[in-house]
Amino acid sequence: MLFHTWVFFVFFLIVYPVYLLVRKNNQLMNLWLMIASYTFYGWWNPWYLLLLFGTSAIDYLMVLLMERKQSTRTVWLVISLVSNFGFLGYFKYSTFITENCNLLLIQLHAPFHLPDPAVYPNTMMGLLHVPNDWYFKHVILPIGISFHTFQSMSYTIDAYKGVIKTERNFIRFLTFVSFFPQLVAGPIERASNLLPQLQKAPTITREDITDGLSLFLVGFFKKVALADYLSKYVDLVYGNPAIHQSPALILATVAFGWQIYFDFSGYTDMARGLARTMGFRMMLNFNNPYTATGLGDFWNRWHISLSTWFKDYLYFPLGGSRYGPLRTYFNIFLTMVISGIWHGANWTFVIWGGLHALGRCATREVEQTQFYRKRIPRLLKQMLVFTFVTFTWIFFRAQSLSDAGLIIKRIFTTGWTDPHFPLLMAYMILAVWLYQLLYNSRSALKRYLETSPVRVGLASLMIAYLMIVAQPSTKQFIYFQF
Amino acid sequence: MGEQDIQKEQPPAEMEATAFSKGIHPPVTADAPGFKADGLEAVDFSNSIRLTGREWLCVGVFALLLVVFAPRLWKATEPFPLERDYRIPHDIANDYWLYERHAAQSAEHYDTVLIGDSVVWGEYVTRDQTLPHYLNEFAGQERYANLGLDGAHPLALTGLVEHYAGSISGKNVVLHCNPLWLSSPRADLQDDKATDFNHPRLVPQFSPHIPAYKEEISPRLGVVVEQHTSLGRWTNHLQQAYYNHSDIPTWTLEHPYDNPVKPLTRGLPPSDNVLRHQPQPWYESDIKEQDYLWIDLETSLQWHAFQRVVQILQQRGNRVFVLVGPFNEHLLNPESKQRYQEVKATIVTWLQVQQIPYMAPEPLPSELYGDASHPLAAGYEMLARQLLQEPFFQKRDR
Repeated sequence: MLFHTWVFFVFFLIVYPVYLLVRKNNQLMNLWLMIASYTFYGWWNPWYLLLLFGTSAIDYLMVLLMERKQSTRTVWLVISLVSNFGFLGYFKYSTFITENCNLLLIQLHAPFHLPDPAVYPNTMMGLLHVPNDWYFKHVILPIGISFHTFQSMSYTIDAYKGVIKTERNFIRFLTFVSFFPQLVAGPIERASNLLPQLQKAPTITREDITDGLSLFLVGFFKKVALADYLSKYVDLVYGNPAIHQSPALILATVAFGWQIYFDFSGYTDMARGLARTMGFRMMLNFNNPYTATGLGDFWNRWHISLSTWFKDYLYFPLGGSRYGPLRTYFNIFLTMVISGIWHGANWTFVIWGGLHALGRCATREVEQTQFYRKRIPRLLKQMLVFTFVTFTWIFFRAQSLSDAGLIIKRIFTTGWTDPHFPLLMAYMILAVWLYQLLYNSRSALKRYLETSPVRVGLASLMIAYLMIVAQPSTKQFIYFQF
Repeated sequence: MGEQDIQKEQPPAEMEATAFSKGIHPPVTADAPGFKADGLEAVDFSNSIRLTGREWLCVGVFALLLVVFAPRLWKATEPFPLERDYRIPHDIANDYWLYERHAAQSAEHYDTVLIGDSVVWGEYVTRDQTLPHYLNEFAGQERYANLGLDGAHPLALTGLVEHYAGSISGKNVVLHCNPLWLSSPRADLQDDKATDFNHPRLVPQFSPHIPAYKEEISPRLGVVVEQHTSLGRWTNHLQQAYYNHSDIPTWTLEHPYDNPVKPLTRGLPPSDNVLRHQPQPWYESDIKEQDYLWIDLETSLQWHAFQRVVQILQQRGNRVFVLVGPFNEHLLNPESKQRYQEVKATIVTWLQVQQIPYMAPEPLPSELYGDASHPLAAGYEMLARQLLQEPFFQKRDR
């Protein structure tokens, strides 16, 4: 179920009024939200619910056990982590790992190879005399598995560290993990933020409604009017890079940079907006990342809930910057590469994460110098960051490493033919970029953007565009695959 | 951990000091900037579009005005003069907004409208060789309007009549029943395999269940919304008539440097008067003898839809006359012909029971058919003469 479809509209039309009726009773509210969230998730494939329920139940149980006996806390944490990473590893990475191991075995002339990962559950089902019709043909990747697994894991880790209290109400915990606005693509909420909100009857003010609607409108526009439009050109070029020349490949890469931003931030804007209309407050996930003046700044603005997750649960435990420069760079590098792998089981994501790691390590000291901070024009820094980030998107978007290589090669070696890049697309990107640069500047014009007529005018324009120009879309969000 | 790390990783001062733009992200705590004292995050906006209740009211009024008045304004300004023998251009057969306008104009200027598929529209003939044309010619005055729509099988006709032909009320309606749609489970849309068929946006979206219609629920809901709001129909009209059947963003991919507003200044495409097929007898077009199965009308989706169309038209105070066929029986093998006669007899029986005036003529001469169901010009001429003999067509005071 996608936020920008009529099915979701009907779904919310049912869920919301009932929610308003039951929210004063905390038990009923959580039960209703849990049912709604499971319906929302199961709409894609009801089998996904087993996984969602399974990981949630294990984490819930492990934290209860941690509380009972202090001496075995670590054991329960390890079981929780192993089960979470086990599920994630199997569903998301097992095919990738198997394929690569088999390639290596072929190189080594080994007389055997690893079977398809679907064999393991099928063998178990065989032992249980399950009919053959039920067997898996291949491993399916449940939508948003990385998001809800990470959210659930943050609870067990925080509980282990004693940062949060144990949640005893099982239904409430299930609701925390599965809360439908942010279930499949974040923001990855921390238990310390969302669970307390689920423990009481949310107050819904007029401001909650108007802010929620504002967030939803902007997110909807980003997705339907911008991301899906840009995807038409990007898909055309990246679908067959061998027939396109340098200008088209460059423009498609730039367009993809904006597409993924509009797509993902559009989703989280809608998610935050929906939650807000229900009285829940979720963290800001994107803060105009293409106005960043350094790579560190970029990661403070891009997918904030994930970067904070990795910093809190990986970078800091590794030692952060406490053990000297060499160790610090190692920690940064490792965190960013793992962040790349989090996105998907493909070498392209490893390279993407690696490039950002290298970029961050190479620029970290430079960004802190007075020269960089004071002497280099802000706009130039923003352009440099944008150029680097856009270059790395080639690896993120390409179907394979060879495709990425081909695109880079063709960018630098082919001629300059007409890219047939729609002017309307270019104008829209430039308009948004200009808006964001102004919004993040200290220019007097920024105040102009905040005046009521401009805000009302922009919202009206967006609605008119969505009603008349944009095409109803059922295109998935890019980040659902992660 | 914590504080020391945060201090070390401080970004340049010029960076935005939002809750999360510390050099390294602090754990989410209630006392962090951007969080309210009660521990909840103050909503952070990354843009200025944060409207108050009053501002939302303004936007809501604007949206409402847009929904209500934009299609009306467009209708008032888009020239669509009444033309003799007008038929909806084949190329924009999916432009139901235009069909609605054509139906409204026809209801105003003609006392009888002909509704049906391409047999009424005139698949093998020019616009001045169609059945309505000959009816007008032989009647000696402009009384009959061509409201045929290419590919409008009965399930699509249901939607067409229900949602886009509301202005046809208190009129004489000649409704064509093309038995071709009853010739096989595939034509009846009972084929469970996903099949392409005409006018999916006109067929009932949820009930009855159409096995051949595989669309997901969201687009179906979108169709229902379009059927009930003039804005949806109007935007579809713009796409069909001005942007080569695509939405504007897709159109810009094919015309990257053109002004996207420019096509709107072009005007509506004229009613086409070109032949879509060579007007030659069916047997000269390599059409072989057919063994159509013909389906049981009891279970036929198309037949029940046809009955529904009759019912809707009658409920609107129209006087309905049904023309059955004439189907080209010459291309059927004996067994299929036998089965067809049974189907035809069932249709006729139903019309008699319902006391609906009808004509179920004998087939035209073989050489007057272009294919299984479409007459050639001479066929229409002959059919028009036969129809005008019917009492329904002779009562001139209707």
